[in-house]
Amino acid sequence: MVDAARHPKIDVRTYTEVERVEGFVGNFKVQLRQKSRYVYEDRCNGCGECADVCPIEVPNPFELCLAPRRAIDVAMSQAVPLVYNVDMESCIECYKCVDACGELDAIDFSMEDKLVWEDVGSVVVATGFDHFDPSVMTEYGYGRFPNVITAIEMERLNNSAGPTAGNLMRPSDGENPENLAIINCVGSRDKRFNPSCSNFCCMYAIKNAVLLKQTYPEMDLSVYYIDIRTPSKGYEEFYNRAREMGIRFIQGRPGLITEDPDTHNLIVHSEDRDLGYVTEHEYEMVMLNQAAVPQPDVDTVSSVLNITQSPGGWFMEYHPKLRPLDTPTDGVFLAGACQGPKDIPASVAQGSGAAARAGRVVHAEEWEIEPTIAVVWEDRCISAQGKKCGICSRACPYGAIEYEEGKAPNVITAKCHGCGACVAECPHNAITQLHFTDAQILAQLQTLLADKPEEKILAFRCHWCSYGGADMAGTSHFEYSSNERGIRVMCSARMDADFIYEAFRLGAGAVLFSGCHPQDCHYITGQRVGAHRAERLLKRFERMGMTPGRFRVEWISAAQGDKYARVINEMQEVLDSIPREELLKEIEEFRPEMAKRARRMREVPQIEEASDFAESIADARRTREAEPA
Amino acid sequence: MAVHSPQAQTFADQVRAIPGGEHLEMCYSCGTCVSKCMIQQKVEPDYNPRRLLHMVMMDMRREAFESPTTWLCSACDLCYPACPQEIHISGVIGAVKELAVEAGYESALETVSVDESLCSGCGICVMTCPYEAPHLVEKEVEGEMDRFSEVDANACMGCGICVAACPMGAISRPGVSNEEVRAQIGVPQSSGVPRLVVFVCDWSLRADADVRLLESYPENVRVIHIPCTGRIDPEMALLALRSKIDGVLVCGCAPNECHYKRGTVVSSCKIGLLNRMLDQMHIGDGRVRFVQIGTQDQGRIRAEVDGMLEHLAAGKEAR
Repeated sequence: MVDAARHPKIDVRTYTEVERVEGFVGNFKVQLRQKSRYVYEDRCNGCGECADVCPIEVPNPFELCLAPRRAIDVAMSQAVPLVYNVDMESCIECYKCVDACGELDAIDFSMEDKLVWEDVGSVVVATGFDHFDPSVMTEYGYGRFPNVITAIEMERLNNSAGPTAGNLMRPSDGENPENLAIINCVGSRDKRFNPSCSNFCCMYAIKNAVLLKQTYPEMDLSVYYIDIRTPSKGYEEFYNRAREMGIRFIQGRPGLITEDPDTHNLIVHSEDRDLGYVTEHEYEMVMLNQAAVPQPDVDTVSSVLNITQSPGGWFMEYHPKLRPLDTPTDGVFLAGACQGPKDIPASVAQGSGAAARAGRVVHAEEWEIEPTIAVVWEDRCISAQGKKCGICSRACPYGAIEYEEGKAPNVITAKCHGCGACVAECPHNAITQLHFTDAQILAQLQTLLADKPEEKILAFRCHWCSYGGADMAGTSHFEYSSNERGIRVMCSARMDADFIYEAFRLGAGAVLFSGCHPQDCHYITGQRVGAHRAERLLKRFERMGMTPGRFRVEWISAAQGDKYARVINEMQEVLDSIPREELLKEIEEFRPEMAKRARRMREVPQIEEASDFAESIADARRTREAEPA
Repeated sequence: MAVHSPQAQTFADQVRAIPGGEHLEMCYSCGTCVSKCMIQQKVEPDYNPRRLLHMVMMDMRREAFESPTTWLCSACDLCYPACPQEIHISGVIGAVKELAVEAGYESALETVSVDESLCSGCGICVMTCPYEAPHLVEKEVEGEMDRFSEVDANACMGCGICVAACPMGAISRPGVSNEEVRAQIGVPQSSGVPRLVVFVCDWSLRADADVRLLESYPENVRVIHIPCTGRIDPEMALLALRSKIDGVLVCGCAPNECHYKRGTVVSSCKIGLLNRMLDQMHIGDGRVRFVQIGTQDQGRIRAEVDGMLEHLAAGKEAR
């Protein structure tokens, strides 16, 4: 940290918060709030004379309130930069510190927060994690029994720079404990609080046990665990070393801790799974190895940076395997435990990787983006004609569309990922997506439904999931109806209602609307836009009296080849169950309504050419089929 | 009886098909339920919900039906709020029990029985039972139809709440019948020191030290063990006061920790009403007290008994 602070090309801003982020990859504008320290960073030399004279003592949060701090103090002894800070909430403004500072004149009580804008090329988020507060788990009595402490409190109590100078004391009487229990998975792997595993706590428990055993060889140490997880290099060896040192490992998650009211010793009630019965061991001290949880302000950071969260509140990577350091917003990267609980080696590795990814942006002359971006036809946009709209801007999962009333929206191409949500949502067909224009998709539709459309099952598949699902069905040799005809679009958000109406107008027997499962969407919230539209369509067709099953909505992942085949076969069964005359009658009955609903699409550029092209392809095929073999 | 789907093949499928039996496959065998539960500690060393769930998963039907876990769980749900996988363990055990009963197994618990010659068919027991064990049946007696209470022995957990509630004294449970409990109320005369009867529920004192402590009091403190404070009939407290005993302390579980679901709540209502009545008659003076001791309140019983004795001594002096 000291090295980083001294580096000529690294500018460390501490006590500063990111308020706003604007712009896009390579061209971010970041608004920073430099909070007022009431001490000039460039004048303070960290001598600490101000703190010596300060008459106010308040609990020190860095020492988990096990020790006091002054109203003017440094956050911790290794703080970088070593600059003092006035805590205005506890300061009584006696100005003794100002006198003590003397000629340096570093303290200024009139200082105010500063808002500054900075230009940056990329952003690395490394906001870390927080600790689970075990006082909500009443069964362990944290906060009620003085000798039940958390792992972080242990960290300070057993630290030579800590409040007890490294002397592990029982909070109830200040004695060194003769025996101590460590309880793992406090608040993690627990559906009531955090269903996931906190990753590093097993090793952390072993580390603490080993450290204590080294300092207090006579101490009797027991670790209660559900499973010990030592998945990295050298970890199992470390675990074995701990066992060799005589640390006891008891498999069983304690259900209850009670306290002897006279001695303040703790009785840990746990099933010893190896013995098969409940044991009640008495300990002088208990350490709760609490879960890692996301920082309390993750929602704010998410909205400032337009990045998403995984279930549980950790920041979401762009792809769990292939792009683990990127976020859905280009130019914003993740490092460390803000992305998910991880230990120091993993955090350092991810940090180094994220720095390299960020450097790539900063040093790039040009930046390659998806070619499938959205483009606005100003002449069709009603907003440009002065009417209120903005639907496209609201549909965009990336905030890539700038909307101002009375103007045509502006698509920031560097931010557009090409999902097509805006294109499909625009009620006036005023936006198109390169390589997936309405005309291109219409041409496919018309070709596929040129002959015997009533027998066909037209399947709209999203590029990332259901298209892969169909592929998987093929490579796995799952048989499904040969009447299926597929059209690939980038996201279910691109599956325009017009396409569905047009397909039914052309007489399609059945239409499938398929995409990713909500949590798998490649375009953050694209699937939700598509799902919402599909719901509306389902209801509309139901009201119109369409046979149930002719329009179907399914979320199929790339691994679900079996599901894809099953869904298509079920749709074929629906078609088979309707007598042909009745089906044709139903198609004819709905044709005018469908034509009316899809009429806007027929107005967009190149539709005529696309129709002609589709017709020529269909003709060519008919000729080929008519020729004798 | 639940209708089991014809697809239910394995034992686990059958258990899951019964409402309450879901999610048992989520158990990762941490043992929290076993350590939260007091049955293993107090009654049956082989009691182990975690193992029962595992037996179900391993298709060990006969072993599960014969396991004491199936029959001893009183659905107190002490384990449920502590389970990290949010499995409703008593629901799963209940489902196993349902299948066991279907298969012809029977509960071996000490249960209540109804004396039909005393039963008036009022149905109070039906309303008060936490397990829906009693129900009213019509029978022909000497040519006339009459209603009686009948108890499903497989559902009854033997808490005795109905025994206390029955206005006719028609229900009894071996060991804690009205006569047996009454016979224990009696404290020898001793000069000066107040005399106290402590009714203590078998489940409220988790720590062995607390149980031993109760045994160590001199004979002016009479300790009467009952399965649940719901078993207390206010009449017993009155009987004690009438026989010149200075005070009655009823010690039960915390409201959400009652071994028989609602015995402690029933009892707190009863003792509350009794106290109000005694106060109206100006003979209350805090001589009947109800305390609810939680699983983490180790050592509290001593403070409560000592406090009560002090209070009674002070009252005696004033008189």
